[in-house]
Amino acid sequence: MRPDDPQLKRLEPPKLNLLEQTYLPQILGGLAVTGRHILQSALGKTFTVEYPREQTLRSPNYRGVHRLNKDEQGRVKCVACMLCATACPAHCIDIVGATAPDDWPDREKYPESFVIDELRCIYCGMCEEACPVDAIELTSLYDITGFSREEMIFDKAKLLSVYDVTKDAEPMRTAPLTPPDQPQPKAHEYATAIEAPPGTSQP
Amino acid sequence: MPTITINGQDYTLPDGAKLNAIQAALRVGIEIPYYCWHPALSVVANCRMCEIEVGSKDPATGEIKLIPKLVPACQTPAKDGTVLVTNSAKVLEHQRMIMEYLLLNHPLDCPVCDQAGQCGLQDYSYRHGQAVHRFVEPRIVNPRKDVSDQIQLNQDRCIMCTRCVRFTREITQTSELQVVRRGSHAEIDTFPNQPLNNPLAGNVVDLCPVGALLDKDFLHKQRYWFLDRHDSLCTRCATGCSIIAEENQGRIWRFRARFNPHVNDYWICDEGRYSYKAANDPDLLASMYLRSANELVPTPIDQALATVGSRLREIAQSSRPIAGILSPFLTVEEAFLFASYLRNLSPSAVLALGPVPRAGQDVTFSPDPRTGRTGDTSFVVCRPFTIHAEKCPNRRGVELILQHFQGQIIDFPTIKSQIASGQFAAAYVVSDALEPAFSDDDASALRAAEFLIVQDVHVTPLARAADAVLAAATFAEKAGCYVNAHDRLQYAQAILPPRDGSLPDLDIFAILANRGSAPIESHTILAELAQTIPAFAVAAGGHLPPFGIVLGQPESADYTTIPFADPWLAPRGRQTLLLPQKPPQREPVPTA
Repeated sequence: MRPDDPQLKRLEPPKLNLLEQTYLPQILGGLAVTGRHILQSALGKTFTVEYPREQTLRSPNYRGVHRLNKDEQGRVKCVACMLCATACPAHCIDIVGATAPDDWPDREKYPESFVIDELRCIYCGMCEEACPVDAIELTSLYDITGFSREEMIFDKAKLLSVYDVTKDAEPMRTAPLTPPDQPQPKAHEYATAIEAPPGTSQP
Repeated sequence: MPTITINGQDYTLPDGAKLNAIQAALRVGIEIPYYCWHPALSVVANCRMCEIEVGSKDPATGEIKLIPKLVPACQTPAKDGTVLVTNSAKVLEHQRMIMEYLLLNHPLDCPVCDQAGQCGLQDYSYRHGQAVHRFVEPRIVNPRKDVSDQIQLNQDRCIMCTRCVRFTREITQTSELQVVRRGSHAEIDTFPNQPLNNPLAGNVVDLCPVGALLDKDFLHKQRYWFLDRHDSLCTRCATGCSIIAEENQGRIWRFRARFNPHVNDYWICDEGRYSYKAANDPDLLASMYLRSANELVPTPIDQALATVGSRLREIAQSSRPIAGILSPFLTVEEAFLFASYLRNLSPSAVLALGPVPRAGQDVTFSPDPRTGRTGDTSFVVCRPFTIHAEKCPNRRGVELILQHFQGQIIDFPTIKSQIASGQFAAAYVVSDALEPAFSDDDASALRAAEFLIVQDVHVTPLARAADAVLAAATFAEKAGCYVNAHDRLQYAQAILPPRDGSLPDLDIFAILANRGSAPIESHTILAELAQTIPAFAVAAGGHLPPFGIVLGQPESADYTTIPFADPWLAPRGRQTLLLPQKPPQREPVPTA
């Protein structure tokens, strides 16, 4: 979209009234929350979580261990474009690309090897954002451990197995690509799918 | 001096220059986008990307008359009084329209396309294209096919510029490629059972402005932006072609041709293109060895060099003869430093030329303005391209140095028989050849010397027979100058750092000659060489012009000898950021 696009709407922040300009209502509101917590803990309620006996629920966009997604045919979704390795600020992704097998007609390239050094990774999620085919995703698993540094260097098989473990709890964030022999969705359908909030699908 | 007007400003052109509007504008820093035009190929004007407004200025009245329609800049001669307009709303709208047409059937698979990052379509989409694709029909999908064992064609990415077709017709004159079918069904193809397998075939990959023609040797292995580029020279034959070597993760991934009007024009041969593999060989010598108790034992570098130095000094002090063999793969700096080291050590030392590999006959491609040409050739400068039978880069340079030190050149068979007859107490063989250069026969002949030193990169029978083996640098691991078959002295940058356990030849000689502990640079040695040997006087100061310089001859430059690279291949990144460049200003296009 260009800056001079006529459809572009410019929003101004709402004006504050006299009371709001003193910031007192907000300060008092904040103090009320603090006071409530003080009272509750005085009455014996605990706020800490007894990890690891007790697990917390992470937010859906928590950035933990990576996984490599599979397509409907169980093949690795990655096309070895190396854009994640390009975007990675920690240089922890190493991919060896190769020409795809002849019986993968929809694909020209695939990763022969895909290795992430989980110790070097800073879990910024740039790889996920760079991926053009949604092949790499960060799961909410965070408590991975190992006895050696080598164990923490995850190869393709291990990253694919993370997908198998987490696919039910955390489905892929985007719909799988339509197979090439079925009618392809048009670009405007994608656009409505993204714009319409869930549960408000138009007829 | 002819004066032309570009975007309202007057510029002068060199006298007698035959330039088209693209070249003339490029000289003053104005880029007219193009795909199908190439300075060595005839003009066909079929991509329509370079169309601009052209007119003429009346010399008497100064009145400017523009041609009402847009004209391809590649076909427009830049002559006195020509007026070019490259930034009007009409031109910009036309460029946007052409980009939309070219992208109608383009698959936009940039993430998996090897050309991404050095792609004309990507660059011009960004600069002249638009973000919206209005074409809703299904795109033509054309599966990839092979045009030869080495080269793959992804037809759906092709924009039908026909550069590759014109290359095979006009430069190699073998005409393997052609356009079949018409309109949006047009595609590049070979004739049945006649693959694209001429000795220069790999150049079509460099020529292709998009990712349609791809080298299977490089295919899918690396991304363009991961590679570091070095301006170097091909050492495969005596031509000494200018190349760009692309390197990453400690290995070379490919060679591309670099323009040098005096040597290789815009091309390199396939033999040279794939000669990079010699530098990636995992079996290269990875340690220095000394013979102890009849066995070669890996030795630390300093210890090996100290032993070699002291043994040679002992032999020289007892006035026993020493032979030095200089391979034609050495740079002139290395040859000079080695020769002066041995001669300082023992003034009676005999210096000889190592084995000069030869294979087949010289092959010359001589494009001319008529053969195979289908378009306008007024702006083409035809230059021949030769693949030499002499498969080493620097015989001429080493010979000139030997000539200076002992007045005659002893060839390898002569020195071999002399050493075999037991005339020499020590023999120091420096090789660094691209392929292993010594046979069992050479080994048994040279073994007659009491102390045999072999400095090489390969494990040869000679190295197995030696008393001391010094691991030296491949062509990729050393910087220095070579003299090609036409006496042109050219500088090659180092491409890779030295392998573990080895030391570049120049450093080995500097340590042996006790030149102090400061790191040695080829420029310093070249400056010394230029002072010492009159034949190299042109290299005074130790730095050479980008295209090299002919020994004993002042450099002749005309308007055609300025560096050239297609805009999408020109160096970018850090270098572009340093240049004060303005992004092209797009004026709002008036809507009807």
